[in-house]
Amino acid sequence: MISPVLAIIYIFIIPGFFFLFAYALFLEYLDRRIIARMQTRVGPPLIQPVADLIKMLGKEVIDPAGVDRALFDAIPLVALAAVMTAFLYVPVVGNSPFAFQGDLVLVLYLLTIPTIALFLLGWLSRNIFSAVGGIRAVTQLFIYEVPFFLALLTPALMAGTWSVSEIARWQQDNLWFAVLQPIAFVIALVGLQAKLERTPFDIPEAETEIVAGPWTELTGRRLAAMHLAFDIYLVAGSALVAALFLGGPLTPWTITPVWLGWIAGFFIFIGKTLVILLILSAFKAATGRIRIDQLNRIGWKYLAGASIVQLAIVLVMNSVRVNV
Amino acid sequence: MPEVVIPIGPQHPALKEPVNFRVIADGEKIVRLDLDLSYNHRGIEKAAEQRNFIRVLPLLERVCGICSHSHATAFAKGIEELMGLRIPPRAQYIRTIIAELERMHSHLLWLGVAAHEIGFNTLFMWTWRDREEVQDTLEEMSGNRVHYGMNEVGGVRRDLSASQVKAALGRLPSLQERIGKYVDMVNNQRTMLVRFRGIGTLSKEEALEFGTVGPTARASGVDYDTRRDDPYLVYDEVPWDVVTASDGDVFGRTEVRIGEIAESIRIVRHCLENLPEGPIRVNAPKTAPKGEVLSRYEAPRGELVHFIRTNGTDRVERVDIRTPTLANWTSVAHELVGQNLADIPVIVAAIDPCLSCTSRLTVINSRDKKECQVSFEELRRKKKTTWAGGGPA
Amino acid sequence: MSVLGEMVRNLLSKPVTILYPVQKVPVPEAFRGRVRITAERCIGCSMCSLVCPSHAITMIPDECEVEFRGKKLTRKKRPGMKLFKCIRCGLCERHCPADAIQLTIEIPLPGTDREAVVT
Repeated sequence: MISPVLAIIYIFIIPGFFFLFAYALFLEYLDRRIIARMQTRVGPPLIQPVADLIKMLGKEVIDPAGVDRALFDAIPLVALAAVMTAFLYVPVVGNSPFAFQGDLVLVLYLLTIPTIALFLLGWLSRNIFSAVGGIRAVTQLFIYEVPFFLALLTPALMAGTWSVSEIARWQQDNLWFAVLQPIAFVIALVGLQAKLERTPFDIPEAETEIVAGPWTELTGRRLAAMHLAFDIYLVAGSALVAALFLGGPLTPWTITPVWLGWIAGFFIFIGKTLVILLILSAFKAATGRIRIDQLNRIGWKYLAGASIVQLAIVLVMNSVRVNV
Repeated sequence: MPEVVIPIGPQHPALKEPVNFRVIADGEKIVRLDLDLSYNHRGIEKAAEQRNFIRVLPLLERVCGICSHSHATAFAKGIEELMGLRIPPRAQYIRTIIAELERMHSHLLWLGVAAHEIGFNTLFMWTWRDREEVQDTLEEMSGNRVHYGMNEVGGVRRDLSASQVKAALGRLPSLQERIGKYVDMVNNQRTMLVRFRGIGTLSKEEALEFGTVGPTARASGVDYDTRRDDPYLVYDEVPWDVVTASDGDVFGRTEVRIGEIAESIRIVRHCLENLPEGPIRVNAPKTAPKGEVLSRYEAPRGELVHFIRTNGTDRVERVDIRTPTLANWTSVAHELVGQNLADIPVIVAAIDPCLSCTSRLTVINSRDKKECQVSFEELRRKKKTTWAGGGPA
Repeated sequence: MSVLGEMVRNLLSKPVTILYPVQKVPVPEAFRGRVRITAERCIGCSMCSLVCPSHAITMIPDECEVEFRGKKLTRKKRPGMKLFKCIRCGLCERHCPADAIQLTIEIPLPGTDREAVVT
């Protein structure tokens, strides 16, 4: 365990909350800029996400009639807290100091909370658009969660451990899981896009169909909190996939001295998450939204099927390695 | 989920103009819908009765921004027929060029909007950038990007100089290449195929029964195009083909519209290269003789009909505009029943609705099938409602 | 995959946006912009006022000697146009016999006085 002073610096400053907020806003800027350039537009300047956040915080909070105000205030904050906590367990500069066996399960659990929050918001706003959006959010959750969890389970199976940091460290001695388990990598990326509710899976928030789905009645600071929560969600999700499939902040050789390893790991972490962001942004720009029943078909037929195939392959590979 | 009423409109991100669908949905499937069209009524037909033939054309142009030249040309053509005028060939060619450029920009706009409705914003941005080429051409020729003001009774107002013709011809090859790319994209892009195929299918019999016009009908295999079957301007001298499809779904309509852009490029190129010399207008008399004329025109959205009655003065006595969108709404009301909630914007966008053209204020009692004159007091209380699944509209 | 290829090509090239007002938007010569009245040429026939679709032009009494088609005549009035009622249709320019009212290529800028009259 690390000393309390270091723990406070880790949690609050770097690579904790301060870095997390800055990086989340930076990734939102980069996402919008890359997509804009792909569409031959200019895109927003670097300061835009900060400006958006400040503007949203300053807007009036409108409570629809008959809605539970305390819950409406609390739910975006709960979502924000969940993703911020999830980020603490992902390796950023080497092992996460809070790692323990089973933290993969904890991170996955925490990362489902924003979707549940959207569903609750949709249900609580007494608004037909939000209700339909909330129901779509939960339906989408049921469809992609099974393949996504299976895809993240297979690296754990091969590494033989339930801790994200140790899975990243296992890849230091062997190949990256993106190479060893390409099917799981693809499913993890698709599942991440569905988790983050980005096109082609932005069904709960479909602007042209149901106004803004569960986000319709969010205004002012609640919208700011939820928006920031989803930005951090992008960082946490990319960091998780980078740790599990691209080796996290570690290189195939060990760097001495330790502090140099931390700095190098930090920049390697940023590089790998940027690569994942590039893939996700291209995916978002190149597709249109699909319908929820079509997602149902694709999810259960192809995604779930492929993840089970990948699981079978990993089990076979494991037994072959043990015997050899 | 039990049956719920989902209000689509009058203000909704899916709609570009106000129309009210009250959709009654069971879960994600639509059971019934009510349609209310009167939000954009501006009384243009009445205002047109008080302006003489010079001043009425800018008014009629402004019925719709996207098909403004269609309205102006249809009216001018009708009045010229009543007066017995033959306008010079150069004027006919210039009117055709502007008409086809307008069709191109309207269909490119539609392609972008259809992509936007399914969340495919990339195609939206690309098509609208290509549309800028057409808009630049129109601005060079007529002075404005919409409401071109090229028409007057007796011919056109502005001539095309040689440099304008050259610049326009120079833009056509790149547009043609982009259209080829869009055909490719639409046929291969998985999400577009999945969202457009099989949605909003209208068979040929249904298309004829509901009176659909334009690309909506041609996509169902109805081989009718006013430019070929009731020719006006120079469409009988220029080589071009009518584009039809057989699917009758939204994908078919996409194919028809992209095909029409390619045909328009062909027509514009032919007209620009073969522009005859001569005057661009004749002197029109101030008054029109007594008479009635039905002027038909193929607007980008379908067949546009202007019924004009004159009584020997310098104004019209009555102009009645039947726009193509009005004819297509019944098919939307019919197609939406049984589809998913997520398909509403796609099906509505597929007829290329232009609510500015459409709004009507007649009261039709569909049970007795009688039309009646209503006083202003009654008008304030009633509104036009069309029921789908009840009786024919 | 044509979409993906096009996207990557766009990513590596300049955007097509014109950064107005830092960059200038090219305005063609035929552009119908702000109306300009050349009072010295006006012969006071009131055609512009009669054909204006939005009744934006009223005639202001103003005596002046003008030369028109080789003859001298005294005009009695000249046009005054409400700047913000003008729809820039160009009918006044088309029907003026003395070429006294024209649409320039100046972009009509916003203002604060709704009843502003241009002469």
